[in-house]
Amino acid sequence: MTAIIEAHGLGKAYGDFEAVKGIDFHVEPGEFFGMLGPNGAGKTTTIRMITCVTPPTAGRLLVDGLNVEQDDRQIKARLGVVPQDDNLDEDLTVRRNLEIYARYYDVTGSLAKERIDEGLELMQLADKAGEQIHALSGGMKRRLIVARALVNDPRILILDEPTTGLDPQARHLVWRKLRLLRERGVTILLTTHYMDEAEQLCDRLVIMDEGVILDGGRPRDLIAKYAGSEVLELHLLPEERASIRAMIEPHVGESGRIEQIEDVMYVYGLDPAVAAEVGAQVEDPYRVYHRRANLEDVFLTLTGHGLTE
Amino acid sequence: MAIVAKQADPPRRRNGELPLLGVAMPGRRTYRVWQRNRDVFFQLWRTELVPPLMEPIVMFLALGLGLGTYVELTGDLDYIQFLAPGVLVIFPMFAATFESLWGAYWRLERSGTYAAILATPARPEEIVAGDILWAATRMLINSLLILLVMAVLTAPWDLIQSPWVILTIPVNLLAGVLFASLGLAYTSKAKSISQLSYFFSLFIMPMFWFSGAFFPLDGLPGWAEVLAWLTPVFHAVELDRALITGDLAWSDLYHLGWIMVMVIPAFWFALYSMRRRLVQ
Repeated sequence: MTAIIEAHGLGKAYGDFEAVKGIDFHVEPGEFFGMLGPNGAGKTTTIRMITCVTPPTAGRLLVDGLNVEQDDRQIKARLGVVPQDDNLDEDLTVRRNLEIYARYYDVTGSLAKERIDEGLELMQLADKAGEQIHALSGGMKRRLIVARALVNDPRILILDEPTTGLDPQARHLVWRKLRLLRERGVTILLTTHYMDEAEQLCDRLVIMDEGVILDGGRPRDLIAKYAGSEVLELHLLPEERASIRAMIEPHVGESGRIEQIEDVMYVYGLDPAVAAEVGAQVEDPYRVYHRRANLEDVFLTLTGHGLTE
Repeated sequence: MAIVAKQADPPRRRNGELPLLGVAMPGRRTYRVWQRNRDVFFQLWRTELVPPLMEPIVMFLALGLGLGTYVELTGDLDYIQFLAPGVLVIFPMFAATFESLWGAYWRLERSGTYAAILATPARPEEIVAGDILWAATRMLINSLLILLVMAVLTAPWDLIQSPWVILTIPVNLLAGVLFASLGLAYTSKAKSISQLSYFFSLFIMPMFWFSGAFFPLDGLPGWAEVLAWLTPVFHAVELDRALITGDLAWSDLYHLGWIMVMVIPAFWFALYSMRRRLVQ
């Protein structure tokens, strides 16, 4: 199967500043693909290049076999884009927003009505069709923007941090809707700085930091590769650190290691029996977490810093 | 030793960008952008149409009747008759300018409308061209409302003296494209919303006073007449005055020529400059 998005040595420089430093990745058709990284990692710049808004300054980028520097119209006609910021027409109703947006794709008349009804239904907004935008909650606005991105029946849906600023319930609803779209065969590319979002949704992802891709793969493979299956996370007082560390060190396996990042100690590859013992040594058990490894650990291992600053 | 000829990079046709001009030719999505602005405007039309109707009425009453009774012109026009073409250009120009400064800046930087449209097959040039044509349409709408007021006031004060008045409509539409292009060109360079008022106070307001809309320029020193000649308002007012009074001469075509020649670089520059702001 040929890739639906292909980047070779893709770069973007603004004067001396390189926002994206020659990255390679590809997205398969039907896949839920993620870009995980903190703010400033180059995710949004990459999205802007894919959506033909920002021209690359290095490398090559093909979307559905077309070149972003020459075939902007054809590419944009096949994409649905959900931007980071809400940019709905506040003065218009929900339905009118979608009708006006559909017109840019020459989707009008009964076809537009069909697509809009379907999109609103899918995003659980059918009963809000006549509402003004300012009457909607943050989660509804986000879902409406997803519905708007579907009016042209896109081959690829692109979402730039779609749940930033939403409360947990609203986020989960958005996630459910995105999984539903993936089941229907839409290729999805999502950027996020939430590791739980990436882990819950993505079939495959790349981890980005400071304009480069550090590694990529299936979430569980990346976790197994960089963090093992379990992590002991210790929030210790400064005076406890040395003794606990001395106690743990002999029991950390070949592939494991100990990382102290600011006030938190992360222990990878520790014998589970020892992990339970450590809990008993620390006075306050709430400062010891013996948990499943996740993408945050992968990111920490790769960069030495966290996903959120 | 082999000599390898240095190969030139193949020429890149960058997303429709024309050689030399540095912009893509706006296509049919210009109309889609215009439609979007129209729909938002008519959503609020009850409030939007009152000021453009009230402003000229107040102006005619205050200046035409109030101030006008103290003014004696050298020609055969009453002051209110002299004033009418000025009002017909100035107030619609305000509408086109507001739309292309604050309206466009809002869509560019605050509401995210430009960004939303850019994600669709529309190109930056079509967003700008659509906005220019919409601002020109605002000028047209306001012109029609003022013509309506003038038609009513023609009974007592003989404001419209010639059927040629009908041609003020295309003239004002063309002038609207020029005002809107100048406004959008400035907006494309503006770094904050407060900078927009500079355009208004340094360009629009001097034109408001010194382009023959409110008093004849004959009495001013020669350099002032040269300055007036450089402004689009002067030419639009002269043309409209000739069409309203029916006092036409072939030489009036030269005012039309002035506007037609100026609209081309202004329109191009608005597209060129805004493209560079949007495509980074």
